[in-house]
Amino acid sequence: MTTPSPLLQVRDLRVNVGERTVLHSVSLDVAPGALVVLMGANGSGKSTLGLTLAGHPSYRAAAGQALFGGQDLLAMSAHERARAGLFVSFQAPPDIPGVKNNLFIRSALNAVREARGEEPLDAFDFLASARTAAQQLGLPEAMLGRPVNEGFSGGERKRNELLQLALLQPRLAVLDEIDSGMDVDGVRAVVQLVQRLRAQGTAFMVVSHYLHLIESLAPDAVLRLDQGCIAETGGLELARGIARTGFARTAEPVEA
Amino acid sequence: MDTARADALAARDRLRTHGWIAARAESFRHLPPPAADTWLQGPADDAAPGCHAPPLAGAGWTLHPVGHAPQGSVQARWLDALDPAQRVELFAGLPQPGDGDAAPFAWAHRALCRQGLRLRIQATPGKAGPDQGTVWLQLRHQPRAQAEAPLLVLDIDPGVHCVLIETHEREAAQCGQAVAQNLHAHIHLGAAATLRHLRIAAPGAGDQMAHHVHARLDAHARYEQALVATEGAYHLQRTQLDLQGHHATAHAAGLLLAAGQALEQQVHTAHHAAHTTSQVETLVLASGAARVVANAHTRIAPGADEAAVRQRLTGIPLAGRPRLVMRPHLEILHDQVQAAHGATWGSLPEDALFYARQRGLDDASARALVVEGMAHALLERCIAHPELLATWLSDGWLAQAIARHLATAQEAHHE
Repeated sequence: MTTPSPLLQVRDLRVNVGERTVLHSVSLDVAPGALVVLMGANGSGKSTLGLTLAGHPSYRAAAGQALFGGQDLLAMSAHERARAGLFVSFQAPPDIPGVKNNLFIRSALNAVREARGEEPLDAFDFLASARTAAQQLGLPEAMLGRPVNEGFSGGERKRNELLQLALLQPRLAVLDEIDSGMDVDGVRAVVQLVQRLRAQGTAFMVVSHYLHLIESLAPDAVLRLDQGCIAETGGLELARGIARTGFARTAEPVEA
Repeated sequence: MDTARADALAARDRLRTHGWIAARAESFRHLPPPAADTWLQGPADDAAPGCHAPPLAGAGWTLHPVGHAPQGSVQARWLDALDPAQRVELFAGLPQPGDGDAAPFAWAHRALCRQGLRLRIQATPGKAGPDQGTVWLQLRHQPRAQAEAPLLVLDIDPGVHCVLIETHEREAAQCGQAVAQNLHAHIHLGAAATLRHLRIAAPGAGDQMAHHVHARLDAHARYEQALVATEGAYHLQRTQLDLQGHHATAHAAGLLLAAGQALEQQVHTAHHAAHTTSQVETLVLASGAARVVANAHTRIAPGADEAAVRQRLTGIPLAGRPRLVMRPHLEILHDQVQAAHGATWGSLPEDALFYARQRGLDDASARALVVEGMAHALLERCIAHPELLATWLSDGWLAQAIARHLATAQEAHHE
């Protein structure tokens, strides 16, 4: 039996935001279809890792390497990363005033389809699949015709992220606290969508603080990020330990 | 000498004795208009040399009723301002030019005006209230003289609802000669009448264009003006909103696109009565060496109890070194009012741009999407009728105009 080569390989990644180094040295692998949970205290660098992988201009990789499907991810522009199959959900998805949600998602989907060599979807076909996906996620159909995220509640914004994930079907999805602001039905929708996409080969890196969601997702690995480094690697028992005793237990120095 | 000619000569004489707009005139000091001669030159009915455009119907205006609205209620008269009787009819009820900052434009208009269109929209006989439906009109104006002074007078009877789509697009004209156009439109809304006024003003690169819209609102009337304007050698869009009746409401929104030339929007609003509401919003997208001025001036007169005013001016330099002047101004002469105003300069929202890029849109597509969204949002806040806006924008002209503008801005950025 052979181990599949990683879809995402991160090696010794150091990231600066402005003058500050947020990630000091991060190395991790994510295999196709695998699910990795990233845990860590506030400010440990979880979101920084996601935004760096996404290509946010404020997050500058100062050293190290990130390969995505064998390609140098850090050398690609943000839209090229997305077209290559990287999806990053936002912790606080922004509004785009005046742009209807269905137009936004269809434009994005057709850009990605074009990169894959697929025909663009016309408005009619897109709307049919968007309605179905929205219904599965508990997102009211009316949200498709409203400006992107404008006036959406926190939970609706997260469901809208899931809608985009469901339609874009990326190779790797980084979900940054996708469960925050979600009700129990929303969390259930997250689990179902992740399971469905994993079965189709999508890999996930999930940032979450909540054991219930983490257990439901049945991760392949749990990583604990601390002060910009991967401090621990394990399975569900690591997540359970963190849930039981918190992050402070390992960060506090032992007094003599 | 007949009275029409005497009136025109008197206007010309008034300009000569009182002079043109002073360099320090408050309303025009950031973008002074061309001299008086620009607006008075040449016989007004001569086509420019080299212009092979066919003569147009009426006074340069073509009127197209739209849809299945009750068009029987529209009275249209094209009137000759050089005919004494018709001139009297054309200018009947219009205010005298006066002596305000912009009065010289009005005197120049009186001096040069040859023809005008007078429209009256009446209630459909036998119907009242919502049953009488909305009258849809489309007006296109094509210039054909080197200097011209078109006139539009629109009277909307009490309780009548109207949509007017007004277009000035030089690209569509066959005549490529530069023109100077001093256009005046006078609109009167009777009690509880409404007008949704959708305007496109896109002069040619060599054109000098000054449009003056004067709207007077009686009680409970509502006027909404959405303007999309592009630059010219000189381009002024000036709107005067007079809220004469109680509970009258006026909204004005302007999307100004300039990539190297001049463009100014002025919206002067006067609240004369109680419970009147006005909202003025402008979005400027400028690049290169463009000079753009957005000027909102609102006056709340004594006794205009519970008047509500909002002004919001936004300027976004896209590339190059454009000069953007945002001038919100309030003059409040009554205590019981609500007023808010603001002007902001800034870049496109980086978080929205990155969000779009992270979903797969390249830089140019993301910028176009976000800018077009801002334009839509501006228009939607002004025109409280999403279906009307969707119809107006349905053939994609706004998206194309923005795409052209962004492409020009991008070129300026690389130069």
